[in-house]
Amino acid sequence: MPHILLFTLTIAAISTVCIAPVALALAAWSWRAGTKGLVVDAIAALPLVLPPTAVGFVMLEILSRRSPVGALLQRMGVEILFTPKAVVLACGVMSFPLMFTAFRVAIETSDRRYFDVARTLGASPVRAFLRVTLPLAWRGLLSGLLLAFCRALGEFGATILIAGNIPGRTQTLALAIYDRVQNGSDHEAAILVLYVVAMAWALVAISSVLIAQQRRRFAA
Amino acid sequence: MIEIDVRLPLAPFTLQVRCSLSANVTALVGRSGSGKTSLVESIAGLRRAQGRIAIDDVTLLDSDRGIDLPPERRSIGYVPQDAALFPHFRVAENVRFGGSDQQRFDSLVAALELESLLNRAPASLSGGERQRVALARALMTQPRLLLLDEPLASIDQPLRERILLYLRRVRDLGIPMIYVTHQPFEALALSSWCVVLRDGGVAAEGASRAVLADAEVAGSVENVFEVSQPQHDPILGITRVTTSDGLALVLPYDQVAEARFPLVVRISADDVVIFGARPTSISSRNVFEGTVTSLRISEGIVDLTVSAPAPLTVRITRAAAEDLGIADGSRVWLALRSRAFRIVG
Repeated sequence: MPHILLFTLTIAAISTVCIAPVALALAAWSWRAGTKGLVVDAIAALPLVLPPTAVGFVMLEILSRRSPVGALLQRMGVEILFTPKAVVLACGVMSFPLMFTAFRVAIETSDRRYFDVARTLGASPVRAFLRVTLPLAWRGLLSGLLLAFCRALGEFGATILIAGNIPGRTQTLALAIYDRVQNGSDHEAAILVLYVVAMAWALVAISSVLIAQQRRRFAA
Repeated sequence: MIEIDVRLPLAPFTLQVRCSLSANVTALVGRSGSGKTSLVESIAGLRRAQGRIAIDDVTLLDSDRGIDLPPERRSIGYVPQDAALFPHFRVAENVRFGGSDQQRFDSLVAALELESLLNRAPASLSGGERQRVALARALMTQPRLLLLDEPLASIDQPLRERILLYLRRVRDLGIPMIYVTHQPFEALALSSWCVVLRDGGVAAEGASRAVLADAEVAGSVENVFEVSQPQHDPILGITRVTTSDGLALVLPYDQVAEARFPLVVRISADDVVIFGARPTSISSRNVFEGTVTSLRISEGIVDLTVSAPAPLTVRITRAAAEDLGIADGSRVWLALRSRAFRIVG
Protein backbone atom coordinates (compact mmCIF):
# COMPACT_ATOMS: atom_id res chain seq x y z
CA MET A 1 0.00 0.00 0.00
CA PRO A 2 2.78 2.57 0.67
CA HIS A 3 3.74 2.49 -3.01
CA ILE A 4 0.16 3.47 -3.97
CA LEU A 5 0.43 6.40 -1.57
CA LEU A 6 3.80 7.46 -2.98
CA PHE A 7 2.62 7.01 -6.57
CA THR A 8 -0.51 9.11 -5.93
CA LEU A 9 1.46 11.88 -4.22
CA THR A 10 4.00 11.94 -7.06
CA ILE A 11 1.31 12.06 -9.76
CA ALA A 12 -0.59 14.83 -7.93
CA ALA A 13 2.63 16.83 -7.42
CA ILE A 14 3.72 16.49 -11.07
CA SER A 15 0.30 17.43 -12.43
CA THR A 16 0.09 20.43 -10.06
CA VAL A 17 3.56 21.65 -11.02
CA CYS A 18 2.78 21.21 -14.72
CA ILE A 19 -0.47 23.17 -14.74
CA ALA A 20 0.59 25.93 -12.31
CA PRO A 21 2.53 28.11 -14.83
CA VAL A 22 -0.25 27.75 -17.42
CA ALA A 23 -2.97 28.59 -14.89
CA LEU A 24 -0.97 31.59 -13.62
CA ALA A 25 -0.24 32.97 -17.08
CA LEU A 26 -3.86 32.56 -18.17
CA ALA A 27 -5.21 34.08 -14.95
CA ALA A 28 -2.85 37.06 -15.30
CA TRP A 29 -3.79 37.54 -18.95
CA SER A 30 -7.49 37.27 -18.15
CA TRP A 31 -7.09 39.86 -15.33
CA ARG A 32 -5.38 42.37 -17.62
CA ALA A 33 -7.76 41.67 -20.53
CA GLY A 34 -10.85 42.75 -18.57
CA THR A 35 -14.10 41.72 -20.29
CA LYS A 36 -12.22 39.84 -23.04
CA GLY A 37 -10.89 37.58 -20.29
CA LEU A 38 -14.40 36.30 -19.53
CA VAL A 39 -14.22 33.96 -22.55
CA VAL A 40 -11.01 32.42 -21.22
CA ASP A 41 -12.57 32.18 -17.74
CA ALA A 42 -15.53 30.22 -19.14
CA ILE A 43 -13.38 27.81 -21.18
CA ALA A 44 -10.96 27.21 -18.31
CA ALA A 45 -13.83 26.39 -15.94
CA LEU A 46 -15.40 23.83 -18.30
CA PRO A 47 -13.88 20.64 -16.78
CA LEU A 48 -15.28 21.74 -13.43
CA VAL A 49 -18.89 21.60 -14.59
CA LEU A 50 -18.68 18.57 -16.89
CA PRO A 51 -18.86 15.01 -15.52
CA PRO A 52 -15.28 13.71 -15.16
CA THR A 53 -16.19 10.70 -17.30
CA ALA A 54 -17.28 13.05 -20.10
CA VAL A 55 -13.92 14.86 -19.93
CA GLY A 56 -12.19 11.45 -19.85
CA PHE A 57 -14.14 10.35 -22.90
CA VAL A 58 -13.13 13.49 -24.85
CA MET A 59 -9.47 12.92 -23.91
CA LEU A 60 -9.74 9.26 -24.88
CA GLU A 61 -11.09 10.23 -28.30
CA ILE A 62 -8.38 12.86 -28.82
CA LEU A 63 -5.55 10.52 -27.80
CA SER A 64 -6.80 7.38 -29.56
CA ARG A 65 -4.93 6.23 -32.66
CA ARG A 66 -7.97 7.12 -34.80
CA SER A 67 -7.58 10.85 -34.10
CA PRO A 68 -4.95 13.07 -35.77
CA VAL A 69 -3.41 13.91 -32.38
CA GLY A 70 -3.22 10.25 -31.34
CA ALA A 71 -1.79 9.27 -34.74
CA LEU A 72 0.86 12.00 -34.52
CA LEU A 73 1.86 10.93 -31.01
CA GLN A 74 2.15 7.33 -32.19
CA ARG A 75 4.40 8.36 -35.10
CA MET A 76 6.56 10.26 -32.60
CA GLY A 77 6.71 7.14 -30.42
CA VAL A 78 4.90 8.79 -27.51
CA GLU A 79 2.53 6.50 -25.69
CA ILE A 80 0.09 8.14 -23.28
CA LEU A 81 -3.10 6.10 -22.90
CA PHE A 82 -3.04 3.58 -20.02
CA THR A 83 0.36 4.81 -18.79
CA PRO A 84 1.27 6.97 -15.75
CA LYS A 85 1.41 9.91 -18.21
CA ALA A 86 -2.32 9.48 -18.74
CA VAL A 87 -2.86 9.66 -14.97
CA VAL A 88 -0.91 12.94 -14.83
CA LEU A 89 -2.89 14.27 -17.80
CA ALA A 90 -6.27 13.34 -16.30
CA CYS A 91 -5.33 14.83 -12.90
CA GLY A 92 -3.98 17.99 -14.53
CA VAL A 93 -7.03 18.58 -16.72
CA MET A 94 -9.50 17.91 -13.92
CA SER A 95 -7.73 20.07 -11.34
CA PHE A 96 -6.91 22.92 -13.73
CA PRO A 97 -10.25 24.80 -13.33
CA LEU A 98 -9.91 24.88 -9.54
CA MET A 99 -6.38 26.23 -9.72
CA PHE A 100 -7.22 28.75 -12.46
CA THR A 101 -10.31 30.04 -10.64
CA ALA A 102 -8.46 30.36 -7.32
CA PHE A 103 -5.56 32.18 -9.03
CA ARG A 104 -7.98 34.45 -10.90
CA VAL A 105 -9.82 35.38 -7.68
CA ALA A 106 -6.53 35.87 -5.78
CA ILE A 107 -5.19 38.24 -8.42
CA GLU A 108 -8.50 40.03 -8.88
CA THR A 109 -8.85 40.69 -5.16
CA SER A 110 -5.29 41.94 -4.71
CA ASP A 111 -5.36 45.74 -4.71
CA ARG A 112 -4.72 46.89 -8.29
CA ARG A 113 -3.39 50.24 -7.09
CA TYR A 114 -0.13 48.58 -6.05
CA PHE A 115 0.31 47.28 -9.59
CA ASP A 116 -0.48 50.75 -10.99
CA VAL A 117 1.89 52.51 -8.60
CA ALA A 118 4.66 50.00 -9.44
CA ARG A 119 4.25 50.93 -13.10
CA THR A 120 4.53 54.66 -12.38
CA LEU A 121 7.80 53.74 -10.63
CA GLY A 122 9.17 52.37 -13.90
CA ALA A 123 8.23 48.68 -13.66
CA SER A 124 6.99 46.93 -16.81
CA PRO A 125 3.62 45.14 -16.50
CA VAL A 126 5.41 41.78 -16.14
CA ARG A 127 7.83 43.08 -13.48
CA ALA A 128 5.03 44.86 -11.60
CA PHE A 129 2.98 41.67 -11.66
CA LEU A 130 5.82 39.41 -10.53
CA ARG A 131 7.24 41.71 -7.84
CA VAL A 132 4.06 43.28 -6.47
CA THR A 133 0.79 41.61 -7.46
CA LEU A 134 2.02 38.03 -7.15
CA PRO A 135 3.56 38.29 -3.65
CA LEU A 136 0.45 40.11 -2.40
CA ALA A 137 -1.85 37.46 -3.85
CA TRP A 138 0.20 34.56 -2.50
CA ARG A 139 -2.37 33.28 0.00
CA GLY A 140 -4.93 32.84 -2.76
CA LEU A 141 -2.29 31.31 -5.01
CA LEU A 142 -1.28 28.86 -2.31
CA SER A 143 -4.87 27.80 -1.74
CA GLY A 144 -5.22 27.35 -5.51
CA LEU A 145 -2.19 25.05 -5.54
CA LEU A 146 -3.50 23.08 -2.55
CA LEU A 147 -6.98 22.79 -4.02
CA ALA A 148 -5.57 21.53 -7.29
CA PHE A 149 -3.24 19.10 -5.50
CA CYS A 150 -6.10 17.71 -3.37
CA ARG A 151 -8.34 17.45 -6.42
CA ALA A 152 -5.57 15.52 -8.19
CA LEU A 153 -5.24 13.17 -5.19
CA GLY A 154 -8.91 12.27 -5.46
CA GLU A 155 -9.28 12.21 -9.25
CA PHE A 156 -11.17 9.11 -10.41
CA GLY A 157 -13.58 9.44 -13.39
CA ALA A 158 -11.31 10.76 -16.12
CA THR A 159 -8.35 8.71 -14.88
CA ILE A 160 -10.10 5.37 -15.08
CA LEU A 161 -11.16 6.12 -18.66
CA ILE A 162 -7.77 7.13 -20.09
CA ALA A 163 -5.37 5.36 -17.71
CA GLY A 164 -7.36 2.37 -16.60
CA ASN A 165 -6.94 0.84 -13.16
CA ILE A 166 -3.71 -1.12 -13.53
CA PRO A 167 -2.19 -2.06 -10.12
CA GLY A 168 1.46 -1.01 -9.91
CA ARG A 169 1.20 1.07 -13.12
CA THR A 170 -1.73 3.49 -13.11
CA GLN A 171 -3.58 2.69 -9.90
CA THR A 172 -3.93 5.74 -7.61
CA LEU A 173 -5.41 5.90 -4.10
CA ALA A 174 -8.90 6.75 -5.39
CA LEU A 175 -8.81 3.85 -7.85
CA ALA A 176 -7.38 1.51 -5.21
CA ILE A 177 -10.21 2.35 -2.77
CA TYR A 178 -12.73 1.59 -5.52
CA ASP A 179 -10.85 -1.64 -6.29
CA ARG A 180 -10.78 -2.78 -2.64
CA VAL A 181 -14.50 -2.05 -2.15
CA GLN A 182 -15.32 -3.96 -5.34
CA ASN A 183 -13.32 -6.92 -4.03
CA GLY A 184 -14.94 -6.75 -0.59
CA SER A 185 -11.68 -5.72 1.15
CA ASP A 186 -13.34 -3.05 3.26
CA HIS A 187 -10.57 -3.06 5.87
CA GLU A 188 -7.90 -2.19 3.28
CA ALA A 189 -10.24 0.42 1.78
CA ALA A 190 -10.64 2.00 5.22
CA ILE A 191 -6.86 2.21 5.68
CA LEU A 192 -6.53 3.91 2.29
CA VAL A 193 -9.27 6.37 3.24
CA LEU A 194 -7.33 7.15 6.42
CA TYR A 195 -4.24 7.89 4.28
CA VAL A 196 -6.26 10.35 2.21
CA VAL A 197 -7.71 12.07 5.28
CA ALA A 198 -4.26 12.34 6.91
CA MET A 199 -2.72 13.82 3.76
CA ALA A 200 -5.51 16.36 3.30
CA TRP A 201 -5.30 17.38 6.98
CA ALA A 202 -1.51 17.79 6.81
CA LEU A 203 -1.79 19.99 3.71
CA VAL A 204 -4.40 22.24 5.24
CA ALA A 205 -2.35 22.53 8.46
CA ILE A 206 0.83 23.45 6.54
CA SER A 207 -1.00 26.11 4.55
CA SER A 208 -2.55 27.58 7.72
CA VAL A 209 0.88 27.87 9.34
CA LEU A 210 2.37 29.50 6.24
CA ILE A 211 -0.49 32.01 6.00
CA ALA A 212 -0.19 32.90 9.71
CA GLN A 213 3.58 33.44 9.33
CA GLN A 214 3.12 35.71 6.33
CA ARG A 215 0.38 37.70 8.07
CA ARG A 216 2.72 38.33 11.01
CA ARG A 217 5.49 39.43 8.62
CA PHE A 218 3.24 42.04 6.89
CA ALA A 219 2.05 43.36 10.23
CA ALA A 220 5.53 43.59 11.77
CA MET B 1 5.72 73.67 -19.50
CA ILE B 2 3.00 71.06 -19.02
CA GLU B 3 0.30 71.04 -21.68
CA ILE B 4 -2.89 69.18 -20.90
CA ASP B 5 -5.89 68.73 -23.19
CA VAL B 6 -7.71 65.57 -22.16
CA ARG B 7 -11.15 64.00 -22.37
CA LEU B 8 -12.16 61.04 -20.27
CA PRO B 9 -15.74 59.77 -19.89
CA LEU B 10 -16.56 59.20 -16.22
CA ALA B 11 -19.81 57.96 -14.71
CA PRO B 12 -21.43 61.32 -13.81
CA PHE B 13 -19.75 63.52 -16.46
CA THR B 14 -16.97 63.67 -19.04
CA LEU B 15 -13.70 64.98 -17.69
CA GLN B 16 -12.62 67.68 -20.11
CA VAL B 17 -9.59 69.68 -19.09
CA ARG B 18 -7.44 72.02 -21.13
CA CYS B 19 -4.65 74.01 -19.49
CA SER B 20 -0.99 74.95 -19.79
CA LEU B 21 1.03 74.90 -16.59
CA SER B 22 4.39 76.57 -16.21
CA ALA B 23 4.50 77.14 -12.44
CA ASN B 24 6.80 75.07 -10.27
CA VAL B 25 3.85 74.00 -8.12
CA THR B 26 0.31 73.92 -9.49
CA ALA B 27 -2.59 73.22 -7.16
CA LEU B 28 -5.50 71.24 -8.54
CA VAL B 29 -8.40 72.28 -6.36
CA GLY B 30 -11.96 71.00 -6.34
CA ARG B 31 -14.57 69.30 -4.24
CA SER B 32 -14.77 65.51 -3.89
CA GLY B 33 -15.93 63.98 -7.16
CA SER B 34 -14.90 66.93 -9.33
CA GLY B 35 -12.46 64.76 -11.33
CA LYS B 36 -9.15 65.70 -9.69
CA THR B 37 -7.90 62.16 -9.11
CA SER B 38 -9.08 61.00 -12.55
CA LEU B 39 -7.10 63.84 -14.11
CA VAL B 40 -3.86 63.03 -12.28
CA GLU B 41 -4.32 59.33 -13.06
CA SER B 42 -4.73 60.25 -16.73
CA ILE B 43 -1.51 62.28 -16.60
CA ALA B 44 0.26 59.33 -14.94
CA GLY B 45 -1.03 57.02 -17.69
CA LEU B 46 -3.20 54.95 -15.37
CA ARG B 47 -6.39 55.91 -17.20
CA ARG B 48 -6.85 55.80 -20.93
CA ALA B 49 -7.85 59.36 -21.71
CA GLN B 50 -8.11 60.88 -25.17
CA GLY B 51 -6.36 64.08 -26.19
CA ARG B 52 -2.87 65.39 -25.67
CA ILE B 53 -0.47 65.62 -22.73
CA ALA B 54 3.06 66.93 -23.15
CA ILE B 55 5.78 67.96 -20.73
CA ASP B 56 8.25 70.36 -22.35
CA ASP B 57 9.05 68.67 -25.66
CA VAL B 58 8.09 65.13 -24.58
CA THR B 59 4.67 63.97 -25.74
CA LEU B 60 3.09 61.50 -23.33
CA LEU B 61 -0.27 61.26 -25.04
CA ASP B 62 -1.42 62.31 -28.47
CA SER B 63 -4.49 60.42 -29.59
CA ASP B 64 -4.37 61.92 -33.10
CA ARG B 65 -0.84 60.60 -33.63
CA GLY B 66 -1.48 57.31 -31.85
CA ILE B 67 0.96 58.12 -29.02
CA ASP B 68 0.07 56.83 -25.55
CA LEU B 69 3.15 56.14 -23.45
CA PRO B 70 2.62 53.47 -20.76
CA PRO B 71 3.04 54.66 -17.14
CA GLU B 72 6.54 53.16 -16.83
CA ARG B 73 7.80 55.28 -19.74
CA ARG B 74 6.26 58.59 -18.64
CA SER B 75 8.74 59.35 -15.83
CA ILE B 76 6.01 60.78 -13.64
CA GLY B 77 6.19 60.36 -9.88
CA TYR B 78 2.78 59.62 -8.42
CA VAL B 79 1.92 59.66 -4.72
CA PRO B 80 -1.66 58.47 -4.18
CA GLN B 81 -3.77 59.70 -1.31
CA ASP B 82 -3.10 56.69 0.93
CA ALA B 83 0.57 56.42 -0.20
CA ALA B 84 0.04 52.80 -1.43
CA LEU B 85 3.31 51.50 0.02
CA PHE B 86 3.93 47.88 -0.97
CA PRO B 87 2.99 46.02 2.23
CA HIS B 88 5.34 43.07 1.58
CA PHE B 89 8.45 45.29 1.40
CA ARG B 90 10.22 47.11 4.21
CA VAL B 91 10.55 50.89 3.92
CA ALA B 92 14.04 50.69 2.36
CA GLU B 93 12.83 48.21 -0.28
CA ASN B 94 9.84 50.42 -1.02
CA VAL B 95 12.09 53.43 -1.60
CA ARG B 96 14.55 51.40 -3.71
CA PHE B 97 11.71 50.15 -5.92
CA GLY B 98 11.84 53.58 -7.56
CA GLY B 99 15.53 53.30 -8.47
CA SER B 100 18.89 51.90 -7.40
CA ASP B 101 21.00 55.09 -7.29
CA GLN B 102 22.60 54.84 -3.82
CA GLN B 103 23.60 58.52 -3.70
CA ARG B 104 20.05 59.63 -4.47
CA PHE B 105 18.70 57.12 -1.94
CA ASP B 106 21.00 58.52 0.77
CA SER B 107 20.13 62.13 0.02
CA LEU B 108 16.36 61.47 -0.03
CA VAL B 109 16.55 59.45 3.18
CA ALA B 110 18.36 62.37 4.80
CA ALA B 111 16.08 65.08 3.39
CA LEU B 112 12.88 63.28 4.38
CA GLU B 113 14.32 61.97 7.66
CA LEU B 114 13.69 58.30 6.96
CA GLU B 115 16.80 56.82 8.64
CA SER B 116 14.94 55.37 11.61
CA LEU B 117 12.17 53.94 9.42
CA LEU B 118 14.20 52.01 6.87
CA ASN B 119 13.73 48.58 8.47
CA ARG B 120 10.09 49.09 9.41
CA ALA B 121 7.11 47.42 7.70
CA PRO B 122 4.62 49.84 6.11
CA ALA B 123 1.84 48.56 8.37
CA SER B 124 3.69 49.94 11.40
CA LEU B 125 4.03 53.49 10.04
CA SER B 126 1.85 56.50 10.82
CA GLY B 127 0.00 58.34 8.04
CA GLY B 128 2.64 61.05 7.86
CA GLU B 129 5.52 58.57 7.77
CA ARG B 130 3.84 56.69 4.92
CA GLN B 131 3.52 59.88 2.91
CA ARG B 132 7.21 60.65 3.38
CA VAL B 133 8.22 57.15 2.27
CA ALA B 134 5.91 57.34 -0.77
CA LEU B 135 7.38 60.74 -1.60
CA ALA B 136 10.94 59.38 -1.43
CA ARG B 137 9.96 56.35 -3.51
CA ALA B 138 8.45 58.57 -6.23
CA LEU B 139 11.47 60.89 -6.19
CA MET B 140 13.87 57.94 -6.64
CA THR B 141 12.64 57.67 -10.24
CA GLN B 142 13.97 61.19 -10.96
CA PRO B 143 10.56 62.19 -12.32
CA ARG B 144 9.98 65.01 -14.78
CA LEU B 145 6.73 65.75 -12.92
CA LEU B 146 5.46 64.87 -9.45
CA LEU B 147 1.75 64.23 -8.85
CA LEU B 148 0.59 64.44 -5.24
CA ASP B 149 -2.99 63.38 -4.58
CA GLU B 150 -4.21 64.97 -1.34
CA PRO B 151 -1.12 64.11 0.71
CA LEU B 152 -2.45 65.89 3.80
CA ALA B 153 -5.92 64.32 3.74
CA SER B 154 -6.62 62.32 6.88
CA ILE B 155 -3.42 63.54 8.57
CA ASP B 156 -3.84 65.51 11.80
CA GLN B 157 -1.70 68.21 13.33
CA PRO B 158 1.19 68.18 14.09
CA LEU B 159 1.97 65.54 11.43
CA ARG B 160 0.39 67.76 8.80
CA GLU B 161 2.86 70.46 9.78
CA ARG B 162 5.83 68.14 9.25
CA ILE B 163 4.59 66.81 5.90
CA LEU B 164 4.11 70.33 4.60
CA LEU B 165 7.66 71.08 5.68
CA TYR B 166 8.92 68.12 3.62
CA LEU B 167 6.74 69.11 0.68
CA ARG B 168 8.32 72.56 0.74
CA ARG B 169 11.75 70.89 0.68
CA VAL B 170 10.64 68.89 -2.38
CA ARG B 171 9.29 72.06 -3.99
CA ASP B 172 12.72 73.62 -3.50
CA LEU B 173 14.31 70.71 -5.44
CA GLY B 174 12.76 72.30 -8.54
CA ILE B 175 10.74 69.28 -9.75
CA PRO B 176 7.44 70.50 -11.24
CA MET B 177 4.59 69.41 -9.03
CA ILE B 178 0.81 69.09 -9.37
CA TYR B 179 -0.73 69.12 -5.94
CA VAL B 180 -4.31 67.87 -5.59
CA THR B 181 -6.34 69.21 -2.70
CA HIS B 182 -9.84 70.20 -1.74
CA GLN B 183 -8.54 72.69 0.84
CA PRO B 184 -7.88 76.11 -0.70
CA PHE B 185 -5.51 77.12 2.11
CA GLU B 186 -3.30 74.11 1.39
CA ALA B 187 -3.15 75.20 -2.23
CA LEU B 188 -2.18 78.71 -1.13
CA ALA B 189 0.47 77.34 1.18
CA LEU B 190 2.38 75.53 -1.56
CA SER B 191 1.41 76.65 -5.02
CA SER B 192 1.77 79.74 -7.14
CA TRP B 193 -0.68 78.60 -9.83
CA CYS B 194 -4.06 77.03 -9.36
CA VAL B 195 -6.58 75.15 -11.50
CA VAL B 196 -10.05 74.74 -10.02
CA LEU B 197 -12.06 71.76 -11.27
CA ARG B 198 -15.82 71.51 -11.11
CA ASP B 199 -17.86 68.62 -12.58
CA GLY B 200 -14.93 67.53 -14.73
CA GLY B 201 -14.20 70.93 -16.26
CA VAL B 202 -11.93 73.87 -15.45
CA ALA B 203 -13.98 76.34 -13.40
CA ALA B 204 -11.10 78.79 -12.83
CA GLU B 205 -7.39 79.02 -13.49
CA GLY B 206 -4.76 81.57 -12.55
CA ALA B 207 -2.39 82.73 -9.85
CA SER B 208 -3.37 80.92 -6.63
CA ARG B 209 -3.78 84.09 -4.57
CA ALA B 210 -6.07 85.63 -7.20
CA VAL B 211 -8.15 82.52 -7.94
CA LEU B 212 -8.58 81.43 -4.34
CA ALA B 213 -9.49 84.93 -3.19
CA ASP B 214 -12.85 84.31 -4.85
CA ALA B 215 -15.15 82.95 -2.16
CA GLU B 216 -17.35 81.26 -4.77
CA VAL B 217 -14.39 79.26 -5.99
CA ALA B 218 -12.64 78.68 -2.69
CA GLY B 219 -15.69 78.22 -0.47
CA SER B 220 -14.12 80.59 2.05
CA VAL B 221 -11.56 83.36 1.79
CA GLU B 222 -8.33 82.88 3.67
CA ASN B 223 -5.09 84.77 4.07
CA VAL B 224 -2.21 82.30 4.01
CA PHE B 225 1.36 83.14 5.03
CA GLU B 226 4.60 81.20 5.04
CA VAL B 227 6.36 82.47 8.17
CA SER B 228 9.91 82.04 9.44
CA GLN B 229 12.55 83.61 11.74
CA PRO B 230 10.58 83.01 14.95
CA GLN B 231 11.47 85.06 18.00
CA HIS B 232 9.74 83.49 20.97
CA ASP B 233 8.82 85.53 24.03
CA PRO B 234 7.17 83.10 26.45
CA ILE B 235 6.77 85.74 29.15
CA LEU B 236 4.68 88.00 26.93
CA GLY B 237 3.10 84.90 25.32
CA ILE B 238 3.97 85.91 21.76
CA THR B 239 6.18 84.78 18.89
CA ARG B 240 7.32 87.34 16.33
CA VAL B 241 7.70 85.97 12.80
CA THR B 242 8.28 87.31 9.29
CA THR B 243 6.19 86.25 6.29
CA SER B 244 7.71 85.44 2.89
CA ASP B 245 6.22 88.80 1.74
CA GLY B 246 8.19 90.62 4.44
CA LEU B 247 5.26 91.26 6.75
CA ALA B 248 6.05 91.16 10.50
CA LEU B 249 3.42 89.13 12.35
CA VAL B 250 2.82 88.28 15.98
CA LEU B 251 1.50 84.79 16.74
CA PRO B 252 0.44 83.25 20.07
CA TYR B 253 3.49 81.61 21.65
CA ASP B 254 1.59 78.63 23.07
CA GLN B 255 0.36 77.59 19.61
CA VAL B 256 3.68 77.80 17.75
CA ALA B 257 6.26 77.11 20.46
CA GLU B 258 6.76 73.52 19.29
CA ALA B 259 6.26 74.21 15.57
CA ARG B 260 8.95 73.73 12.96
CA PHE B 261 9.71 76.73 10.81
CA PRO B 262 9.16 77.80 8.09
CA LEU B 263 5.52 77.36 9.00
CA VAL B 264 2.34 78.08 7.07
CA VAL B 265 -0.44 79.85 8.95
CA ARG B 266 -3.81 81.15 7.85
CA ILE B 267 -6.40 83.61 9.00
CA SER B 268 -9.90 83.91 7.59
CA ALA B 269 -10.83 87.14 5.79
CA ASP B 270 -13.77 87.31 8.24
CA ASP B 271 -11.29 87.59 11.15
CA VAL B 272 -9.56 90.70 9.86
CA VAL B 273 -10.91 93.94 11.38
CA ILE B 274 -10.75 97.10 9.28
CA PHE B 275 -10.44 100.71 10.55
CA GLY B 276 -10.91 103.96 8.66
CA ALA B 277 -8.28 105.67 10.90
CA ARG B 278 -5.23 104.45 12.85
CA PRO B 279 -6.55 102.62 15.93
CA THR B 280 -4.99 104.11 19.04
CA SER B 281 -5.76 101.52 21.68
CA ILE B 282 -6.31 97.94 20.59
CA SER B 283 -5.49 94.46 21.87
CA SER B 284 -4.47 93.07 18.48
CA ARG B 285 -0.69 92.85 18.04
CA ASN B 286 -0.96 92.81 14.23
CA VAL B 287 -2.00 96.22 12.93
CA PHE B 288 -1.09 97.20 9.36
CA GLU B 289 -1.66 100.28 7.30
CA GLY B 290 -2.60 99.69 3.66
CA THR B 291 -4.42 100.77 0.54
CA VAL B 292 -7.54 99.14 -0.89
CA THR B 293 -6.56 97.79 -4.31
CA SER B 294 -9.71 95.91 -5.23
CA LEU B 295 -13.25 95.75 -3.98
CA ARG B 296 -16.01 93.31 -4.89
CA ILE B 297 -19.58 93.56 -3.69
CA SER B 298 -21.86 90.53 -3.70
CA GLU B 299 -25.24 90.27 -1.90
CA GLY B 300 -24.35 92.53 1.00
CA ILE B 301 -20.81 91.13 1.37
CA VAL B 302 -17.76 93.15 0.40
CA ASP B 303 -14.45 91.41 -0.30
CA LEU B 304 -11.49 93.78 -0.24
CA THR B 305 -7.89 93.31 -1.19
CA VAL B 306 -5.61 95.60 0.76
CA SER B 307 -1.99 96.16 -0.07
CA ALA B 308 -0.21 96.33 3.28
CA PRO B 309 2.05 96.15 1.22
CA ALA B 310 1.63 92.34 1.10
CA PRO B 311 -1.87 91.61 -0.23
CA LEU B 312 -4.43 90.88 2.50
CA THR B 313 -8.03 89.88 1.94
CA VAL B 314 -10.76 91.27 4.16
CA ARG B 315 -14.45 90.43 4.21
CA ILE B 316 -16.92 92.89 5.71
CA THR B 317 -20.61 93.71 5.34
CA ARG B 318 -21.72 96.31 2.83
CA ALA B 319 -23.02 98.44 5.72
CA ALA B 320 -19.54 98.55 7.30
CA ALA B 321 -17.95 99.41 3.96
CA GLU B 322 -20.39 102.30 3.43
CA ASP B 323 -19.95 103.61 7.00
CA LEU B 324 -16.18 103.66 6.55
CA GLY B 325 -16.49 105.13 3.05
CA ILE B 326 -14.30 102.44 1.55
CA ALA B 327 -13.50 102.66 -2.15
CA ASP B 328 -10.64 101.70 -4.45
CA GLY B 329 -7.53 103.51 -3.22
CA SER B 330 -8.88 104.19 0.31
CA ARG B 331 -6.30 104.32 3.12
CA VAL B 332 -7.23 101.78 5.82
CA TRP B 333 -5.78 100.05 8.90
CA LEU B 334 -6.18 96.32 9.45
CA ALA B 335 -6.06 94.41 12.71
CA LEU B 336 -5.37 90.64 12.70
CA ARG B 337 -6.00 88.94 16.03
CA SER B 338 -3.09 86.67 16.92
CA ARG B 339 -5.35 83.96 18.26
CA ALA B 340 -7.43 83.93 15.06
CA PHE B 341 -4.44 82.44 13.19
CA ARG B 342 -4.61 78.74 12.42
CA ILE B 343 -1.61 76.56 11.65
CA VAL B 344 -1.81 74.92 8.23
CA GLY B 345 1.43 73.07 8.62
